[in-house]
Amino acid sequence: MSFQKRLSSGEFVVLAEMNTPKGVDTSQFVADARRIKGRVDAVIVPDMDNGVMRMSALAGGVLMHQLGLESIIHVYCRDRNRMALQGDLLAAYALGIQNIVVVCGEDMKNADHHNAKPVNDLSELELLGAIRTLEAGSDLSGIELNGAPQFTTGCTMAPWRDEKGFEQELELTGRKVKAGAEFVVTPPVFDLQRFVPFAEQTRQLGIPVIPTVFLIKSVGVARYIATNEPAAGMTEEIIQRIRKASDREMECVRIAAEAISAIKESVQGVRLVTLGWEHRLPAILDLAGL
Amino acid sequence: MITAERKPMEELTECMKPFGRILLVGCNECVTVCAAGGRKEVGLLSSALQMHFMKENKPFEVKELTLERQCDPEYVEELAPHINQVDAVLSMACGCGVQEIARRYKEKPVFPAVNTKFMGASESQGVWAERCAGCGDCVLGITGGVCPIARCSKQLFNGPCGGSTNGKCEIDSSVDCAWQLIWDRLKALGKVDLYEENIAAKDWRTGRGGGPRKIIREDLAS
Repeated sequence: MSFQKRLSSGEFVVLAEMNTPKGVDTSQFVADARRIKGRVDAVIVPDMDNGVMRMSALAGGVLMHQLGLESIIHVYCRDRNRMALQGDLLAAYALGIQNIVVVCGEDMKNADHHNAKPVNDLSELELLGAIRTLEAGSDLSGIELNGAPQFTTGCTMAPWRDEKGFEQELELTGRKVKAGAEFVVTPPVFDLQRFVPFAEQTRQLGIPVIPTVFLIKSVGVARYIATNEPAAGMTEEIIQRIRKASDREMECVRIAAEAISAIKESVQGVRLVTLGWEHRLPAILDLAGL
Repeated sequence: MITAERKPMEELTECMKPFGRILLVGCNECVTVCAAGGRKEVGLLSSALQMHFMKENKPFEVKELTLERQCDPEYVEELAPHINQVDAVLSMACGCGVQEIARRYKEKPVFPAVNTKFMGASESQGVWAERCAGCGDCVLGITGGVCPIARCSKQLFNGPCGGSTNGKCEIDSSVDCAWQLIWDRLKALGKVDLYEENIAAKDWRTGRGGGPRKIIREDLAS
C-alpha cells in the first residue's frame, strides 16, 4: 500500500531519512536503501540538510524510485526562486516522486557555502500554496499546465525552546495545514512522559502527526542535545543508560526502538533519523517489531 | 541618497480611514531632495487628505511636522509632545524613518506614506537612478566606478551578457548596459586589464546574505 493510502486510511507509517551523497558515488546511499526495502513505507530524502551542499533531493528521490522504494523529498525556499521550485516540482512528479515535505532551509550563514546569496523568494506558506496551485492545473502566473501533478504534501514543525515557543509553532503549523499540508513531521522525541501531552495538543491540527525518533550515537551527542536543545526533553536517565551500557551503540539502537514502540499508539507514524548510521536502521526496526 | 515615491492617494486614504487625527511627519534629508517626503510634500499631502475626507463629511485633522532626520532617535524624540494628541502617524520618510518612529512610540500605529525605492543619484532635473545596492564590499575600484550589481539587470560580475545592444540593455532600450559603461570607463582610464581579469564569485555575507546588518564603531559607541 502506498504512503498516501496508508496515511489516508489511518495506518501507522514508517519513514526512514537518508541523505544523498556529497559527490556522485551513490553506492552507500543505494546499499542503505536496499537494506530497508519492504520494511519502511517511504524514504525521506532531505535537500542539502543542515545547509550542506550535496546531491539534490530530486536525484535522491528518483534513485529510490528506481530501486522500487517510495520517497518523500524535501523542498524549501532558500536556494530556489518560484520558477525553479515549480520547475523542480514538475520534474519530480514526472520522474515518479509523489510525496513532498515543505521544510525551512537552514540559514545560509550556517551552511557550508555561507558566502552564497540566499533566495527566499517564497516562504513555506507560499510554497504550500504554490503546490496547490500546480495541482489545480496552473502555475503561479496563472498559466495553464500541460498536465498537473498530484502530490501528498507534508510540512514540518520546527523545534521549540519553551512553552511559548511551542504554542507559536503549533499556531504556525495550523496555518501550514490551512495552506495545504496533509501531514506534519515533528521534532525528535526523547522524554516519553512529555510526549503524551504533546500528542494530545497536536491532535487539534487535524492531520496525521509523524514524530521523529532520532538515533543518539553517543553520550556526547546526548549531552549536546541536553545542553543545546532544552525543549527536546533529553533526560539524565537516558544519558546515564548509554554511559553505563557495555555496548553503547546497541543501547542507542534499543532506546530508539523503545521510543517507536512507546509512541506508536498515539500518533500516525514515525520518521527515523540516523544521520550516517543508516546501517543500523534494520536493527531499530527489528527491535521495534516493524 | 535614498530615493522614494509617494504612495497612490487611494492607498493612503484607505489606511487613514479609521483615524480622525493624525500626525503627518516629513523628513528633511533624502526624501526632501528627491521631492517625495519633505516639508513641501507634507503640506501637499495634508491638504489632499483633508479635502478627500471633507468630501466624505468625515472629521479629519492633520498635524504637520517635518523632522531634520527621521532615522535619528534624537530628532524622532521631537514628536513626543504631539504623539498622544493623535490616533496615528503617517510618515513621509524612507522605511528607516517609519521604523524609528514605530520603535520609539510603540503604542501608536505608524503608516508609510512613501515607497522607499533605492540608493541612487540624480541624473537630471526630476530623474533619479539606482546606483548602489549596498552589498557591503564595494567593487567600484575594479569596475571603473560603475556598479555591476546595482546597474546590470542580471547583476553580472563578468559581463556583458548577450543582450547588450548598442550600449543598451535588452530589458529596456532606455537602460544603459552597465558592462558597456564599465568597458568604456576602463578603456578611458587605460585599465582594460581589469576587464580581462575574471572577478571571483562574490561573497554575499557582507550583503543581505548575512542577515540584517549593523555597523558598530567602537570609538563612537557609548
